[in-house]
Amino acid sequence: MKKNKLALGSLLMAIILLITACSGSGGSSSDGGKPVEIVMAYLAFTDVSDIQTVEDEINKIAREKINVVVDLMPIDGAAWTQQTNLLLAGNEKIDIILTSSFFNYNSQVSRGQLLELDELLEQYGPEIKNTMPEAIYNGTRINGKIYGIPSVRDFAADYGMVMRKDLVDKYNIDLSKVKTWADLTGVFKVIKENEPGIVPLVPTTQTYQPTRAMYSPEIDPLGDSLGVILIDDQDKKVVNLYELDLYREKLELVKQWYDAGYLSADAATTQEASANVVKAGKAFGYFNNLKPGYAIQESQLTGYEMVSVSLSPAVIQSNSASSFMISIARNSTDPVAAMKFLNLLYTDPDVMNLLANGVEGKHYVKKDNGFIGKPEGVTETGYQFNQWEIGNNFLTLVWEGWDADIWEQTKKFNESGKVSPALGFSFDQTPVKSEVAAVTNVQNQYLVGLESGTLEIEMLDNFINELKAAGIDRIIEEKQRQLDEWAKANGKK
Amino acid sequence: MAHTWRKVWKTFWRYKALFLMLLPGMVYLFINNYMPMFGLTIAFKDINYAKGIWRSDWIGLKNFEFLFMTKDAWRITRNTILYNAVFIVLNTVTAIGVAILLNEVRKKFLARFYQSVLLLPYLISMVIVGYLVLALLNLENGFMNKVILPAFGIDPISWYTKPEYWPYILTIVSLWKNIGYLCIIYLAAIVGIDPEYYEAATIDGATKWQQIRSITVPLLMPTIIILTLLAIGRIFYADFGLFYQVPLNSGPLQPTTDVIDTYVYRGLITLGDIGMSSAAGFYQSLVGFVLVLVSNLLVRLKDKDQALF
Amino acid sequence: MRSNDMNQTLVNLFFILASAACIFPFLLLFIASFSSEQSILTKGYSLFPSEWSLEAYRYLWRNVDAIGRSYGITVLITAVGTTVGLFISALLAYPLSRTDMPLKNTLSFIVFFTMLFNGGLVPTYLIYTEVFHIKNTLWALIVPGLLTNGFFILLIRTFFRNSIPKEVIESAYIDGAAEFKIFFRIVMPLSLPILATIGLMLGIAYWNDWFNGLIYITDSKLYSLQNLLNRMLQNIQFLQQTNLGGRAEGATSLPTNAVRMAMAVIGIVPILLIYPFFQKFFVKGLTIGAVKG
Repeated sequence: MKKNKLALGSLLMAIILLITACSGSGGSSSDGGKPVEIVMAYLAFTDVSDIQTVEDEINKIAREKINVVVDLMPIDGAAWTQQTNLLLAGNEKIDIILTSSFFNYNSQVSRGQLLELDELLEQYGPEIKNTMPEAIYNGTRINGKIYGIPSVRDFAADYGMVMRKDLVDKYNIDLSKVKTWADLTGVFKVIKENEPGIVPLVPTTQTYQPTRAMYSPEIDPLGDSLGVILIDDQDKKVVNLYELDLYREKLELVKQWYDAGYLSADAATTQEASANVVKAGKAFGYFNNLKPGYAIQESQLTGYEMVSVSLSPAVIQSNSASSFMISIARNSTDPVAAMKFLNLLYTDPDVMNLLANGVEGKHYVKKDNGFIGKPEGVTETGYQFNQWEIGNNFLTLVWEGWDADIWEQTKKFNESGKVSPALGFSFDQTPVKSEVAAVTNVQNQYLVGLESGTLEIEMLDNFINELKAAGIDRIIEEKQRQLDEWAKANGKK
Repeated sequence: MAHTWRKVWKTFWRYKALFLMLLPGMVYLFINNYMPMFGLTIAFKDINYAKGIWRSDWIGLKNFEFLFMTKDAWRITRNTILYNAVFIVLNTVTAIGVAILLNEVRKKFLARFYQSVLLLPYLISMVIVGYLVLALLNLENGFMNKVILPAFGIDPISWYTKPEYWPYILTIVSLWKNIGYLCIIYLAAIVGIDPEYYEAATIDGATKWQQIRSITVPLLMPTIIILTLLAIGRIFYADFGLFYQVPLNSGPLQPTTDVIDTYVYRGLITLGDIGMSSAAGFYQSLVGFVLVLVSNLLVRLKDKDQALF
Repeated sequence: MRSNDMNQTLVNLFFILASAACIFPFLLLFIASFSSEQSILTKGYSLFPSEWSLEAYRYLWRNVDAIGRSYGITVLITAVGTTVGLFISALLAYPLSRTDMPLKNTLSFIVFFTMLFNGGLVPTYLIYTEVFHIKNTLWALIVPGLLTNGFFILLIRTFFRNSIPKEVIESAYIDGAAEFKIFFRIVMPLSLPILATIGLMLGIAYWNDWFNGLIYITDSKLYSLQNLLNRMLQNIQFLQQTNLGGRAEGATSLPTNAVRMAMAVIGIVPILLIYPFFQKFFVKGLTIGAVKG
């Protein structure tokens, strides 16, 4: 009997404890003078074990300058969508959050999860708009309001190929003669004939096949590629990308390469990122969108010195601004404090250097020529960040190995870009969300196979038919309607 | 009136101990499952978090559209049901067979070894299984294309672009992964059978096969029934890992590997629409629910005690 | 007698083949974790890699603090979760199994209904974080979704109903025993096979769970083993599936193929070592004796 009573009693205790664990957490009121606490969530998929040190240093400055302390919340890429959805669904404390057109920025706005920033910007972040081109600053507006501030980084993109320099030199390949995608065929031939274990071209990732890099500079994907405009088309006529001649041409070229063995045979199912395949000595190069310093960045990833060749002019597309932004969440208890901190991120080099590079002496050391590098003998620093995400990168110090004037180069590069007539437009998928779901499934069935050269070109017709059956024309109609409305409202006729 | 209330109270008091036993579990189910049930309404709403879930607008069945108005709707439904039907039958029969055979192994040490080994596949995550299958079916390096097929003089096959093979591949993978786990349940039930039955049958001259048919299987019926009923309730759900990870999300395979869960997942990646995913779940639950009610009724007609409820 | 031996040989042969089918992939996994990244990328997984290497385990060793800690967390939540969960499940199943229990069909339905209809992730998350505040606590790894469910409860109920003879319970009544005593002294000891089965299933569920950790835990000190490993794996997949405009500078420091295999190995091996101890509960004779005696 006793044993039973004891067991039962402890069970009941456990349950009671469970239920009473919901002691209400008193909201922390900020007294005058006490610093306001804000929480900032952002994407991190590298080693940030030393984040507390960095946070403390940042807060020393933030406390002094604006009486705000920040709690950094890095979230892994794997958990990002789930965790941010949940964070924004309830009332948890979160003030600043990374947003992006890649991560459902539009839906977040239409679901009321982000705050309007226009007034806050004017009052507490007036200098932010001077850090980037006006078109970009306004490029994230939805229904005329700003909900996200772009990070200052490379906005334009030109497309081309990056490849192993040692092989280029070995076969005396003259890259200055390579001006179009078709010119690469000759280069691939040389590699294929002389290097049996090396594939000339591999896909960048399973979903980013060579064809994509080839057509991207000629269009503006208008968010999801379901209905695009030609980048030179000032009339902004929305068309079906997959029905365009230019799409078919690119596919045919890629198919040629695939059949000749210039493209890896398992391109459609590969689980390896291109840099890793090059690193393993199995590939020559791959396509991507370039930027100043891209080849240097890839060299670090692959372990081989890489050289890039640009095969298109630089373009700025409608989601160039919104690909990485920072926003204030609806949950924020003190949006003013949040905006003040954001202002720091765009204007204060000390804070940005801490966030981007870590603590001086611990995570990096200053070298004589103005560069910074890893401290002597250290391989894992405990802090690695992805700069392009947040804030004003032009303020940060340059790592050795890059060009000293990399930020100047980037700025110029941004200014040289051909601007899409639709920059600043963002498509709201809600009215056609059922069609989008159906069309996305069709895309998934054909896209990778076609764009990797694995499927026969005839399948393109099947693809187009199924897209139509799934409702792509309705999507295009809706997109055109929204685009025209936006153009009128912004005086862009 | 008062008379019936007294009766109710008396019955309750008589069984108070049993009701008390129910309490912890029921409280848990209440917190974990019933409290969040208000979420079922999300399927019928257009959620706006500024208004909150309660005050968001009702939009009827709009969230369900994407499941039906696509020409793929028939295909994914057919795939889901067919695969699950095959899995239920095949996995059950095989699990019982394996459990019976395991019970027959005389050296107990060996039996325990086999049991542990059979459980191994269940412990490997589907992501890794996907890589292992790739090691088998890779176009260039795969075990099949490099070793097995040449041994029979067959040319290499591009497995990941030929949908016709995959119903077999996925069925085999599902069997391989789940048998060890499933047969444990049946084994536990078999162990509970009084050996006197078998002794008596042997004395009467029954063969092993006859014994299995007339003693083991009938006594296993309760377990079989309940596992099957539970499986029927999940008939519109599929193992996402199996249908998404193992085929490596290869497009050309979709005609035979696309099920409701993968369709919903792919369709909603860019949309992130909680209403639509909730609608999909609701649809899957509803169908399973109806099917179970019907099956349960049929079981009740045969043997009241074996029904779920 | 001879046919019996033949049977034994056949049966054993069958199992040897089945075991091979199960061991072979695991062996591949195991050996791949000791292969060099180079040999995997150039020649794929193989039982006889061209190059052996301890690099994968060395990489994991660099994170030994995090991994060791996560092992501890996992062991803790598995032990607590399994014990409490098993207890609650059996307690709930017993009254449902008694034919004289009033309302048993309604209650069974209430239990079963939870298996079919679910409010969804967001409402569940909101309840647990805003009503019960379990985010970033150990409770979050033990309670949500795992503690017990209709499947286990109904399985135990079936076992109770069909393998515990009514006579035993009736004779205990006659002897004047109370319900709880009957439950603990008679029913539970007779149910070792099913308890061991459900206990095993609960244990595996807790050991392998990475999902609760993914959504409820942001404090890396509370990562369970599978949560940690899964994050690492999914981060790789994430980077490889999403081309973030050519900006993934972090890709160099991410684990490679061999490390993925090594992570799988260290996740599975502990279970393999502990499982044999559970098996003695599946032996005949333990239960029958109790009924007779």
